[in-house]
Amino acid sequence: MSSRLPASLSAGWHAALELGYARLPGRTIPVRRRHVGPLRVQKHFVDATGVCQHIIVHPPGGIAGGDRLSIDVSLEEGADVLITSPGAAKWYDGFGRSASQSVTLALADGARLEWLPQETILYAGADVRLDSRIKLHGDASLLLGDVVCLGRPACGEHFDRGQWQQLAEIERNGRLIWCEHAVLPGASPLLASPVGLAGHSVVATLVWAGPALPDELHQAALEVDTPGRAAATQLPEVWLARFIGDSAEDAHHWLRHLRALLHPFTHGRPAQSPRIWAT
Amino acid sequence: MNGGLALLQLLRLASPSLPIGAYSYSQGLESALDLGLVTDATSARQWLHDVLHGPLSHFEAVLLVQACRALVGADEARLDAINQRLLASRDSRELRQETEQMGYSLRQLLAALPESQNQPWPSTLADAPVAVPVAWAVAARTLGLAEDAAVTGYLWGWLENQVMVLLKAMPMGQTAGQRLLSALLPELAVAVQTARTLPEDELSNFAPGLAWVAMKHETQYSRLFRS
Repeated sequence: MSSRLPASLSAGWHAALELGYARLPGRTIPVRRRHVGPLRVQKHFVDATGVCQHIIVHPPGGIAGGDRLSIDVSLEEGADVLITSPGAAKWYDGFGRSASQSVTLALADGARLEWLPQETILYAGADVRLDSRIKLHGDASLLLGDVVCLGRPACGEHFDRGQWQQLAEIERNGRLIWCEHAVLPGASPLLASPVGLAGHSVVATLVWAGPALPDELHQAALEVDTPGRAAATQLPEVWLARFIGDSAEDAHHWLRHLRALLHPFTHGRPAQSPRIWAT
Repeated sequence: MNGGLALLQLLRLASPSLPIGAYSYSQGLESALDLGLVTDATSARQWLHDVLHGPLSHFEAVLLVQACRALVGADEARLDAINQRLLASRDSRELRQETEQMGYSLRQLLAALPESQNQPWPSTLADAPVAVPVAWAVAARTLGLAEDAAVTGYLWGWLENQVMVLLKAMPMGQTAGQRLLSALLPELAVAVQTARTLPEDELSNFAPGLAWVAMKHETQYSRLFRS
């Protein structure tokens, strides 16, 4: 079937983006920006606290079978950056062809990154591999949010075909401090099992790799109200919060509430939300 | 080593009287009971089935197999990487403490046994906390057990301990517990094969419901178990 497609389409679309940031007195600026194919950043915005906010855009609006995205971000010493996206990443039915995204984040000593993209939506039939490899050095810190929607239940579409494969690894000074390996074929028993998603379709994770949360802050995080199943734990080198629910909106609401709660501790200032989140 | 002695060493390693404290952990099951996800013999069987065919045979037992192979190949760097991955994958503070405590206790026990006289503890694991599957792999090598015996014993230990949790916390009767074992032992044999043959890039510890109950256990009001 794919042999009848024009070669440019059957080969899939490869897009790569490379970003680098450096700290100047009082603010962080982009110092490197290279792209291949349809992955861009909008003009950066330095907020009043000197944080560089960047919005990664994928103009095609969706990812088809055969596409490959790669994003490579590095922060120099002391750089303070927030990266998000303008809308959901839609991974379409691959019609038997797989698609992938590879993200690498490297943070030098003293750097701080908030990696908070909008949700990933996997259409039924999407065969997707999403890898995130993160390397922290010295006392760099990371706040990483992830929201994944399996299928589109609102359209009556369940994740009954395809495969979601996701690997996340965080290292500090060369040692693995957190990892998650997910391989979930469409129609996996774990979609319905209480051990897995218990029939829900949205999972979200918030990871803070930095100093341990004070106990009262951890307790306050556990109190955050949500219609989903949510909980959190303080591990030796990361604080981890998880959500299982039925809508990306609920997941973002929970995640952003947590972020606002944690921010004075993690960043020493109130959380500023990128304006794109309000639209 | 002769087969008769290997079988005896396996029975000994997999015995609930092995002094490493396994009986004090429920691995989220107590919390699954408290939250109403497990309510009777049927839902208990389904829960254990799904954990076994999910993260246990697609992650933890796979890394145990890899650890056994790394020991056979004397690949200490690999052993260290496997240990890091197991520790980094724990979904709650209690599960992390559980694996470290049992790994430590098993190491202490081995050090005191005559079988370990000519088989020193791997030097790359000398100073770090050790996840229990890695310590188990070292124990299996020390006691002369083959990889399939090591994995079978590990999964059996898990299943027996989970059934003991149900007997105490549900509570479930002794005979019902034995019937549960009858139902799940053939599944366990399948899980051993899964763990030994799973391709590296199909490793998966995806189990958000299990992670959720394990985290919720940390604030559960009344508890018999430490996880």
